[in-house]
Amino acid sequence: MSVKVRFFAQFRELLGTDIMTEPAAGTSLTTLVAEIAKKNREGYEAIFDKQGSFREFVIVMRNGKRVETADAGTTPVMDGDEVAVFPPVAGG
Amino acid sequence: MVSKRERERYRRQILLFGDDAQECLKKAHIFIAGAGGLGSPVAIYLAVAGVGTITIVDKDTVDLSNLNRQILHSDRDIGMKKTVSALETLREYNADITVNAIDATITADNALGLVGAADGIVDALDNYPARYLLNRVALEKNIPFFHGAIRGFYGQATTIIPEKTACLECIFPRAPPPEVFPVIGATAGVIGAVQANEVIKYLTGKGTLLAGRLFTWDGLCAAAEEIVIEKNPACPACGTAPASEQPREKKK
Repeated sequence: MSVKVRFFAQFRELLGTDIMTEPAAGTSLTTLVAEIAKKNREGYEAIFDKQGSFREFVIVMRNGKRVETADAGTTPVMDGDEVAVFPPVAGG
Repeated sequence: MVSKRERERYRRQILLFGDDAQECLKKAHIFIAGAGGLGSPVAIYLAVAGVGTITIVDKDTVDLSNLNRQILHSDRDIGMKKTVSALETLREYNADITVNAIDATITADNALGLVGAADGIVDALDNYPARYLLNRVALEKNIPFFHGAIRGFYGQATTIIPEKTACLECIFPRAPPPEVFPVIGATAGVIGAVQANEVIKYLTGKGTLLAGRLFTWDGLCAAAEEIVIEKNPACPACGTAPASEQPREKKK
């Protein structure tokens, strides 16, 4: 199956965006994003904590719907999904 | 009534939306939280458009390192209160409007009073705790909250309309850790201009607001995108879930 991952703001600077992946059936949202993020240590650490969970302020959306990051580890991705991962941009 | 002088000053925009819309701008009072990177272009564009009353709040003093982006201030203002410098600059741009510049830190105790009878709040802040405070003030007063934020070459904006759209806490329930954020002045220009444009559209009733949509600007590849955002029924600030009845009065 095919899933597209979009990163925004500083996550994008570190990891790129519009990444097409071919995850195995049953792959969770957390695993999917972590696998991509691992290619850049700084990018991974910006999104995940030391336990491998999403940092509390990270926003994860699947097909335009927010997924609570606490549930992302048990939410499997589906063929054709589009996943967006972004931080709250804070500067002014 | 739009005076003869005003009709000339605003001629090129009255061509767009007419005398009545110009009168709407003249009668309006907009509250701008922050006289920094975003507050500068927002305040300047609202002032020159003829928004009748602008209240701008900041607690800081102008520092040399502000000047790459904070175009309300310049070299001669270093060491001066940002409110004093902002007032001078805005008067130079347009002496026909009223500007209140207030030197204050926005807190839970003073936020409602500072906003007063303003018709809308522009978020030109650099931190989420103060944004959450003003988001709640906007909900309580039932006025729009024009959110903007920037970092590096990247920025975002959305227009929050109480009851109609997601509020700031629906979209970003938890604040990121504080940081000294890198930024280029042009990013503040892009996002500040989007916010000012939203205010003008709201006040004149023109166009389609950025309501329920998070506008994102990626200056590195010069691409604008949008993310559709939805209300969170369990939002502690605006939610309608049974667990949080009277959410707006909850935090005192």
